[in-house]
Amino acid sequence: MRIERELMRGAGPVTVLRLLKQREMYGYELVEALSRRTDGVLAMGQSTLYPLLYSLEAKGLLKSQWREATSGRRRKYYAVTPRGAEFLRAQQSQWRRLVTAMTGLGLLGARHSEV
Amino acid sequence: MGATRIDALEIEHRARMRGLPLDAAAAIARVLAAARLDDARRNEVFEELVTHFEDGLGAGHSAEELAREFGLADFSPSPPTPIPLPRRGNRPMSRVLPDIRYAIRRLIASPGFTLIAVLSLALGIGATTAVFSLVNAVIFRRSPIRAVEEVTDVYESSADFGFNAFSYPDFRDFERGTTQVFSQLAATRFTFSQVMKDGVASRAQGELVTGNYFPLIGIRPALGRLLGPEDDVSPGGHPVVVLSDGYWRRAFGGAPSVLGRPIEMNGRAYTIVGVVSAEYHGNLRGLSPDFYAPMMMVNHLNPADDDQLQSRGYHSLFVKGRLRPGATVAAGAAAAAGVAAELRKIVPDQWKSGDTFKLIPTRQVILFPTVDQLLYPIAGLLFTVVGLVLLVVCANLASFLLARAVDRRKEIAVRLALGATRGSLVAQLLTETLLLGALGGAGGLGVAALVARILTTADLPLPFPITLELGLDARALLFATAVSVAAGILFGLMPALRASNPHLATTLRDESAGGGGRGRLALRHALVVAQVAVSMVLLVGAGLFLRSLESVRAVDPGFGREPAGLMEVSFPPTRYAEGRLLLAERQLAARLRELPGVTAVGMIDNLPLTLVNTQNTDVNTPGVQPPAGREGFDADLAVVDSGFFAAAGIRLLRGRDFTPADADGAPRVIIVNEALAKRLWPGQEPLGKHITRNRDRDYQVVGVVATTKIRSIGEDPRSGIYLPLAQARSSSVWYLARTSGDADRLTTAMVRATQSMDPEIISVDVRTMARHLDVVRLPIRLAALVIGALAALAMVLAGIGLYGTVQYSVAQRTREVGIRLALGADAGAMVRMLTGGGLRLVVWGGAVGLLVAVLLARLVGGLLFGVPALDPLTFFGVPLLLFAVAGIAAWLPARRVSRVAATEALRADG
Repeated sequence: MRIERELMRGAGPVTVLRLLKQREMYGYELVEALSRRTDGVLAMGQSTLYPLLYSLEAKGLLKSQWREATSGRRRKYYAVTPRGAEFLRAQQSQWRRLVTAMTGLGLLGARHSEV
Repeated sequence: MGATRIDALEIEHRARMRGLPLDAAAAIARVLAAARLDDARRNEVFEELVTHFEDGLGAGHSAEELAREFGLADFSPSPPTPIPLPRRGNRPMSRVLPDIRYAIRRLIASPGFTLIAVLSLALGIGATTAVFSLVNAVIFRRSPIRAVEEVTDVYESSADFGFNAFSYPDFRDFERGTTQVFSQLAATRFTFSQVMKDGVASRAQGELVTGNYFPLIGIRPALGRLLGPEDDVSPGGHPVVVLSDGYWRRAFGGAPSVLGRPIEMNGRAYTIVGVVSAEYHGNLRGLSPDFYAPMMMVNHLNPADDDQLQSRGYHSLFVKGRLRPGATVAAGAAAAAGVAAELRKIVPDQWKSGDTFKLIPTRQVILFPTVDQLLYPIAGLLFTVVGLVLLVVCANLASFLLARAVDRRKEIAVRLALGATRGSLVAQLLTETLLLGALGGAGGLGVAALVARILTTADLPLPFPITLELGLDARALLFATAVSVAAGILFGLMPALRASNPHLATTLRDESAGGGGRGRLALRHALVVAQVAVSMVLLVGAGLFLRSLESVRAVDPGFGREPAGLMEVSFPPTRYAEGRLLLAERQLAARLRELPGVTAVGMIDNLPLTLVNTQNTDVNTPGVQPPAGREGFDADLAVVDSGFFAAAGIRLLRGRDFTPADADGAPRVIIVNEALAKRLWPGQEPLGKHITRNRDRDYQVVGVVATTKIRSIGEDPRSGIYLPLAQARSSSVWYLARTSGDADRLTTAMVRATQSMDPEIISVDVRTMARHLDVVRLPIRLAALVIGALAALAMVLAGIGLYGTVQYSVAQRTREVGIRLALGADAGAMVRMLTGGGLRLVVWGGAVGLLVAVLLARLVGGLLFGVPALDPLTFFGVPLLLFAVAGIAAWLPARRVSRVAATEALRADG
């Protein structure tokens, strides 16, 4: 199942940056990776992903480059900029605090507390 | 959705050409057409989405599935997910830049509009900036004086002169009597001197300063030292000089080795002791001196008939004093009043009852108090005029933009529907007008620089060289920027607010058939009315000054009707002492008489209408009482030779002209003008009467000449006396050579003849008679020229605005006109109806303009000449002219519609 729109708003950029931090990817690849690596929880449609990519690029958190893939097709690859990495670090610590706080509240953590 | 629909179809087509199925192509087209992207960006996104679909299809997804994922994505550059980022304003550059790019695209798309807008803005902003830099240079110049708030100007004041310069003895007496109040008191005077350098004579202008002057103003030398009290002790004993930075660079190539070197001035070697820093340009604004020398050298550097350090008759000193700590201007005035009372007792001949001193804080003086009184109204008038022109420009552009807003209604409706906020739309529209403002401002700076260049290099017939620092300094740049931004907002905001009004934009879905938009039309009409009103005001102003110019031209100065060359000559005093001077002067006159075309040559020491003519004297005649409270009759004095009246064309009414027999030692004779003769001896024979001058020297009247204008072209007849050159010699003299040929060519020949006689004699000033007389007409001529040019510009702009408005309303009514014509209406009547609509606006604007013009005319009345402020010809002729021009502007587009065939008109509803 997919996450609610409001939650996705905050999680989207971090997720994309995190994936791209590991290696450069092109749009379709990213869509697939999001769907695969998060069990579809954080999957986003192209309608969300591309505008998000453009927005992150406009903010200087991502950079893009047209390159020939091994198959010989030209694709647009996205990579994290130093500024994006910095942003990701800041966001990661915030998420970590959020998770800790929510765990403390009993919302997260012990699997057995789930119904 | 016009343009958007076309874009979508085109994109879809391109995607299909790349082999994508219809669903995929349509999805790409849908999101791209709705996105606000520039061409390059759009192409890039297009490519990326195409590869995305190719990848998806290759992975086995269906086109329909992939397309559904797209939904209604917003691919505009604005982020769908707000991400908090440090150091970012509400409107990040990522949103402003596309606005600017988009604005540039739109401006390029309509080059005609852009060109007219930028040109008219450039003219409006340029004129405003030029006036600002002029006012900046003259009025707002920062004083170079240290702690200027402690310094005050001091002037003498009498019944004749509200403000007058000091004589040297007056200055010393004043200094002695006010030591309690002033810690320092200093005086300067202007002078011209002849400088010999490498065998070439040239004229340098300088300032003679008392010892305290440089210490008082507190500036530093760029090189060597400045002058101090030790340089100003004994008369004629301090041949030292300090150069200005400009002269040092011009004449000595800026070499530091000038220190200690001699420079030959008026035939005597002066030692160069220093160079003033480049920021200092002398005591009198606009008159940049080449050198500064001690006041004690005045009799050598500025030779006169009497000792200027002793005589109270030479009023040329400008005095400044630094108040002691705690002393007020009022205390200074009280001390000054004490000195004046003393002087009235000691020297009653020079100090009449009522003569006194006036103190004005230096910061409040621009040039000279009496001149300053004129500067503010002139500056105000100039600013009003250029401001009005700029307003017309803005009104015109606003009007154009309102018309264009109609074309953009659909685009704006789409954007609003897609969720754009009104603020972002206004920002986008304002970006466009601000861009226009910036372009206009850049052009305006060019125009202002050009005007400044013309002003500083213009060969104006001025009485002496004036240097204005008219550069476009930081202040002027700031001003131009502010004006450009203000203009961009002024003409852009109203159309932007109107265009982005969601109620208007969404409801006006399709009104190309005409009819709607009343509010917008009313606004355009108001703008046309305003433009016509402003044009009317400017045209009336131009008319009044043109009529003044006409009256000035009509005044007969009483001399110089024939073409003639004029040359002021200075003989080096060392080479031409007492006896030899007159001989040399006559010798030069004889040489000039031999020049081809010359019919008569005369000499005069004090040429009438030079603006610096101040030579006057008290005269008395036995048996006639002078006016109450006066020692004698005030008369202007000139010294002439026997050829002057004939050469100048001044009629001899009675008696005889001077002759060579009126030599030094012969009986003293005098020629009076008609005005003085009538005043002293009304109804009597003036010939043979006696006149005393300053109550001592006695002269017999031998002739009466016609009265000429002496000080200004507008003056009432002034009393004047003429003395023969041989009996009252003068150190500098004007030659007037009348010619039957070309006066311009003659002046060159006159200078050559002078140099060939002795290269050390300098021609101080050379001009034709016509140019000389232009001096007195210059202010009015400049006013007529400037206001006339700006008024013409405003009228043309208003004409264009009216043309546009009528054309717009005609276009809106094409269908209506077509139907009427088809139903058999008279084409002429249709044209009259449409023209009449435009002319109604002109009548309104004209009426408002005339009313304002009546009020303003009274204010500028003092600057006019020989024309009543409410001159009937101007107030009748100008509206006629304006209506004629407006009539044509309204008729042209109206006529066009009637020529359109009825069927065509009916079709014209696209």
